[in-house]
Amino acid sequence: MKTTPTLGQVLQARGVSRRGFLKYCATTASLLALPPTMVPRIAAALENARRPSVIWLSFQECTGCTESLTRSASPTLEGLIFDSISLDYHHTLQAASGEAAEAARHAAMEENMGSYLVLVDGSIPLGNPGFSTIAGISNYDMLMDTVAGAAAVVAIGSCASFGGIPGAYPNPTGAVSVRDLVTDKPIINVPGCPPIPMVITAVLAQFLTFNQLPELDKLGRPKAFFGQTIHDRCYRRPFYEQGLFAESFDDEGARKGWCLYKLGCKGPITYNACATVKWNQGTSFPIESGHPCLGCSEPDFWDGGGFYKPVSTGDFGSGAALAGAAAAGVALGVAAAAVSRRRQAKTIKEG
Amino acid sequence: MSTSELDVKNAFDMESKRLSIKAPEIRYDKQGDTPDEERVQKAMLHFVKDFGTAAAAYLDSCIHCGMCAEACHYYVATGDPKYTPIWKLEPFKQAYKREASPFAFFYRKFGLKKKVTVEELEEWQHLIYDSCTVCGRCSLICPMGIDIASLVSTARHGMFKAGLVPHELHAVAERAEIDGSPLGVTPKVFEERLEWMEDEHDVEINLNKDKADILVVISSIEIQKYPAAFAATAKVLNAVGESWTYRSDGFEATNFGLLSGNLDWQRDISMRIIDAAVKVGAKMVLLPECGHAYMALRWMGANMYGKPLPFKVRHVSEYLADVLNSGKLKVKKVDKSVTFHDPCQISRRGGATQAPRDILKHLGVDLRELPNGGDYNWCCGGGGGVVTIHRADELRYKVFKLKMDQVEATEAETLLSSCANCRQNFDDCQNHYDWKYTADSLLELVADNLQEEKA
Amino acid sequence: MDLLELARGPVIQIAVYVLLIGSLWRLLGILFLQQKPDFSEPRQAGGLRGALKVIWTRAFTAPVFKKATVYSKVLAYTLHIGLFVTIFFFVPHIVFFTDVFGVSWPGLPNNVIFLVGVITVGVALALLIRRITHPVLRLISNFDDYFSWFVTILPVVTGLIMPIRFGVRFETLLAIHIFSVALLLVWLPFSKLAHTFLVFVSRGTTGAILERRGAKT
Repeated sequence: MKTTPTLGQVLQARGVSRRGFLKYCATTASLLALPPTMVPRIAAALENARRPSVIWLSFQECTGCTESLTRSASPTLEGLIFDSISLDYHHTLQAASGEAAEAARHAAMEENMGSYLVLVDGSIPLGNPGFSTIAGISNYDMLMDTVAGAAAVVAIGSCASFGGIPGAYPNPTGAVSVRDLVTDKPIINVPGCPPIPMVITAVLAQFLTFNQLPELDKLGRPKAFFGQTIHDRCYRRPFYEQGLFAESFDDEGARKGWCLYKLGCKGPITYNACATVKWNQGTSFPIESGHPCLGCSEPDFWDGGGFYKPVSTGDFGSGAALAGAAAAGVALGVAAAAVSRRRQAKTIKEG
Repeated sequence: MSTSELDVKNAFDMESKRLSIKAPEIRYDKQGDTPDEERVQKAMLHFVKDFGTAAAAYLDSCIHCGMCAEACHYYVATGDPKYTPIWKLEPFKQAYKREASPFAFFYRKFGLKKKVTVEELEEWQHLIYDSCTVCGRCSLICPMGIDIASLVSTARHGMFKAGLVPHELHAVAERAEIDGSPLGVTPKVFEERLEWMEDEHDVEINLNKDKADILVVISSIEIQKYPAAFAATAKVLNAVGESWTYRSDGFEATNFGLLSGNLDWQRDISMRIIDAAVKVGAKMVLLPECGHAYMALRWMGANMYGKPLPFKVRHVSEYLADVLNSGKLKVKKVDKSVTFHDPCQISRRGGATQAPRDILKHLGVDLRELPNGGDYNWCCGGGGGVVTIHRADELRYKVFKLKMDQVEATEAETLLSSCANCRQNFDDCQNHYDWKYTADSLLELVADNLQEEKA
Repeated sequence: MDLLELARGPVIQIAVYVLLIGSLWRLLGILFLQQKPDFSEPRQAGGLRGALKVIWTRAFTAPVFKKATVYSKVLAYTLHIGLFVTIFFFVPHIVFFTDVFGVSWPGLPNNVIFLVGVITVGVALALLIRRITHPVLRLISNFDDYFSWFVTILPVVTGLIMPIRFGVRFETLLAIHIFSVALLLVWLPFSKLAHTFLVFVSRGTTGAILERRGAKT
């Protein structure tokens, strides 16, 4: 096993100040809901961590998740941390391709057997192995082959976590999530379309610091980031309580920044950290720009009945089914009355 | 009048202030020897056999708010929750649910409603007959608009078929069906009494004319207890110059078939009047001062007949109001203060509330309305056949106190009513309490104060 | 399928079907019983006019009965108005109705709705206590009365809990709220709660029959 520089060394070499580094650690601690006393421990752990081997698999995806991590306006601390892991395979980013790339993957797996992390973005098609292949290997085969020796799997984005857009109705490729296939490894879902970059790095940081997986909710999401709804932490929440709602995208309510509930905001049923961590280096999140939350970190968000349909709305079935129910009610009522009348006539006849 | 021809088993009680048969020594309020199981079954089936949309809607919409209790003189006077009007129908709900309700199938299949026992029905005999005068006051308080009184009448249909009618009520109803009068007034007795009044009051009383515009009927209570009604009616009709007659083959106005709950008898009794009226070519049947007679013929008669009646049906107070308003009859002014007790079946239930007030206006009396009277008047407590039932006496007297308070509050000199059954209950209770008020006849007051014909 | 999807999907769907089938069954099972013609000579117009008249007038108490019924009437009216306001003037509900029926109307601030909801529950409790303690009501009450009370007030309570949260996830609370509404919809046509539509039938029937006679209604 060759010696790799620690994370601390790498960051120093990249010119990250001690102060900036500690600030990052403090932010991570607070995101993970850890007490401030844990900051030094995080810093120490990160500084001394050997760059872990990471294999990033991309299946049926749009590269949005990768973009979210890499396409920052200026190099971010998250980006640097990310750079600092030993990303041994990432076919979008790596220069190598084809057999050379696959050889690198196998080399990393063999070298770090049992300790490497697998990050996955994109869903896996089961309909036909030929729908999505890399170097002639189907997504399914590559996933199962790669996770066999992994310490844990992190599903990045809603596609890998829940099937996402490829898995939306009518799901032509038979797309499934990582969790649907991998049953014998710890899996952390970091959904979102895309997920917040800080959330990805914080999850990695926790893994590095404590060598353990974060506490997960029933959907496999780290509770630290997915424990509260957007609605709970939304800055527009007071308008909801007062009953002040934007009725359309260009009315007075919209201009005054009232609650977007009526415009279909999925904030009340969406668990994510957008309202607190925000996007673009903490600049804002979608609701701040006047658009309702789409609920992208929730399973089947694409099939949730319309982005502009308010959350309380239920599904009442088709008009035909309702008409059928009405017809059944009418028939039963008339029949019941007829039976009663026949019984009455019988009583009268018998005296 | 002779009582010798009467059946001794159900001897009449002519001594008391109200007319009934003598109280049985041992109460035996089952008729026939039907097995209990079958009794219950009959009661249930016959309760629902005539159920139409109206009754079903009523029993299905009760929300158990209990407000009807506050309208019922039996509950108000006693505070006993069992007198809550809708509770009086409780066992009958089972019948409805099982036999005629929209979900009857499930009730039958799964026995969702507890089975009614004959003991319960016997207990309910007290609630359906002894403590309900079918006065309909509860029907006015119900927020769901349920006409509870009509349901009690329907429940009596079942009770009658089951043979669970209070003894006296069954006996008088049977007499009415067989003899033509609940109080043993055969055509012979009727004619004797009529002729006696004709002599006594020196007035021509038309009897058994072949053709007449108006067929006049009378109640047995009047014949036996207030025969002056014969004369008073005749005086008025003669003064107006009507073509009218009494008929020996159709004189009885009361309908104990209705009160006891026997639909067949109710029809038979109504048909006697209808047939007689058709025979004489009457344009109007004039009903006497009797409350339930008005309900029986004015509102139910045509339905017994099965088609519209070929004549009008009017209560004597409606007739009087009509001829006084049109000037066909003139009366002298009467200088006294009067209060008027509205008979439930004529005013609240029958819709003729205005007529007596018009009459009293023509008489120029000082009318002092009963507090909360008129359509909301307290029932006298003797209607619906209750007055005949001896075992209900104590309760009836107790309830009458409401009436006494109401009448006394007016401080009127005279108490009037237009129902002989109310009057006999007033008499009986007056006797019981040694009360100062006697209920007099509105008709007689008019007849006694007719203006002499112009010279 | 999570709890909320279950509630908003099949559960509410089935509840609406049951409501529709049950209500029509009960209503027509009554309306299609025999309706005997009344041959008596009418004193005045009854029929539909009488029915409509009594449907309206029986909403008010006759002065003579006011004193005896004022307590229950005030409570009952408050309960009904409270339910009406919370159901039809809470904005998320309006959003829902708009989606189903295509019409919208202005709502009330959530704080107001919350207050009305609390009053409604309070009034319902007072009515329950009255039902348990008043001799008449205790005698005539049965399972239907108590269960219907529970089923009616449950959606109000589950609705009121939502903003308080008690640490439970919003969508779980929303799902529970929808379940409670589904229970109400399913129970309604088979219980005394059917008076929501039967009140018109029974008042109307009385109006049609008694107005024709000119009798007091």
